[in-house]
Amino acid sequence: MSSFVTGDGRTHMPSGLMRESLVSKTLIAATEGGRVRPMVPGVKFIAIGGQSIMDRGALVLLPLVEAIAALAKRHKMVIGVSGGSRSRHTLAIGLDLGLPIGGLARIVGSIEEQNRNILQFLLAPHGGITFIKEHFQDLSMFLAGGLIPVCIGQPPYHFWEPPPEQGRLPENGADVGLFLMAELIGAEHMVFVKDVDGVYDADPRKHPGARRMAEVTAAELLAMNLPDLPVERELLHCIERSRLLDRCRLIDGREPALLARSLDGEAVGTLIRASTRGRP
Amino acid sequence: MSRDAAGRIWTAGLDNVFAGQTTSNVALYEAYADVPQVRVLPDVWIVKIGGQSIMDRGRAAVFPIIEELIQARDEGIQYVLGTGGGTRARHVYALGLDLELPTGMLAKLGSGVPVQNARMLQMLMARNGGIVVYHDDFEKLPLYLKTGCIPITSGMPPFEFWEKSPDVGRLPANRTDAGMFLLAEFLGARGVLFVKDEPGLFTADPKKDPKATLIPEASAEDLLASGQDDLIVERVVLEYMTRARHMREIRIVNGLERGQVLAALRGEPVGSVIRSRGRG
Repeated sequence: MSSFVTGDGRTHMPSGLMRESLVSKTLIAATEGGRVRPMVPGVKFIAIGGQSIMDRGALVLLPLVEAIAALAKRHKMVIGVSGGSRSRHTLAIGLDLGLPIGGLARIVGSIEEQNRNILQFLLAPHGGITFIKEHFQDLSMFLAGGLIPVCIGQPPYHFWEPPPEQGRLPENGADVGLFLMAELIGAEHMVFVKDVDGVYDADPRKHPGARRMAEVTAAELLAMNLPDLPVERELLHCIERSRLLDRCRLIDGREPALLARSLDGEAVGTLIRASTRGRP
Repeated sequence: MSRDAAGRIWTAGLDNVFAGQTTSNVALYEAYADVPQVRVLPDVWIVKIGGQSIMDRGRAAVFPIIEELIQARDEGIQYVLGTGGGTRARHVYALGLDLELPTGMLAKLGSGVPVQNARMLQMLMARNGGIVVYHDDFEKLPLYLKTGCIPITSGMPPFEFWEKSPDVGRLPANRTDAGMFLLAEFLGARGVLFVKDEPGLFTADPKKDPKATLIPEASAEDLLASGQDDLIVERVVLEYMTRARHMREIRIVNGLERGQVLAALRGEPVGSVIRSRGRG
């Protein structure tokens, strides 16, 4: 039992951070480096696109569900899902009404919950369950039970969504939220399943010579400043800052066989990774 | 089922500027740019009571501030109180760092202490209408304020496990200053007031450097550019100010000086301010 430190009008608990503002750059730099502990190692994190996969209905979704169910027999997996067309409609109406950024962030999650409920229903025969933030710390139990947790992507920033650097849309969407979950879990593999076969160095619809990149660093992608990207721009910042998971793969979910190949470590789609592995 | 050209299940009613687009498309930055953003609760102050600076001083600091807050409420001034963490938060961060816990886990742990402080204030202010408001209760703020209640909340934003790894170090960048600022920005509040044990920003930490001098009016942009090692508010607050639509100014008062909190809530230019030019 440590004794308290007094004498300046405050009652302190002795610790390495006692009396610190926690704002000092020198202090923050001193907390850099070293290992970070994963929460549940060995997990494969699969992010299913909303507009790109869910909105295509049975044609694309059902074969993907079958692929996930088959893979769940030999992988510990968490499935995340985003919103899609109804999220975009929500944003369009919300912006027309002049809602603040935190208001938009608060309401888009409902659409993701619809998609999560759909995906959970389809995966239920194979062990699919809803995975909500209040049960984040129960993940080990779900996985030990052979279940397939299905969660939404939108991070719970809600009214506290920070103002974006540009534009009027929340920067932190499903791609960011799912990556942050995967980082905290210390996932072994993260794959975004969308309707493109990778990231191109230009828009392939407008530039016939556009080349798919098999591997690219998040920093390179940010520097290329492409007018459009199949993933959220803020995801690239998160990849660069991550202390645990430093990469993710983007594959085309219209070819469900790619999912197994991705989990087996094959170089399918595009690998987006941090420019330096680990931190100084 | 009817489908659009890309194979998505579609209805005309869902068509909008974002339909079929990724949210990373730079062309969308301009969408709704001219729509004014509503102020959700424009008459309400956001007041943050420091953890280490006020709460950890106990009754000597807390009771006089409560008196002024009650007086302000009786004068018809509306506000939401939020609390910082203080020395116990620093202790748990130090413990978590020693155990190699990731940033998201530190943010989760850091959330526990401001809640204690909010509950302490509520017990002290209950007979004057003090109530604890949790993150899910914010949509009831109009009711609480209309009945003359004093909503008290934890200053910590609800990011928890979704707190991003910062650029440098491990400590969560978004703590209680950021939480209260973002809440003020969402509400389009009348102002945001930080009650600390100093009258404002100094050139260095005045508790450590006797030569530090007060900066009565500072610019967020200049402070970010100057790289000053220590600050009186979390650095992200300055960054958010530069992107904010409503909250381009924060005020800091020394709560240990009698009359400062009440004067600030009456709109008097006490303490010091930090302003942002914004994006024009």
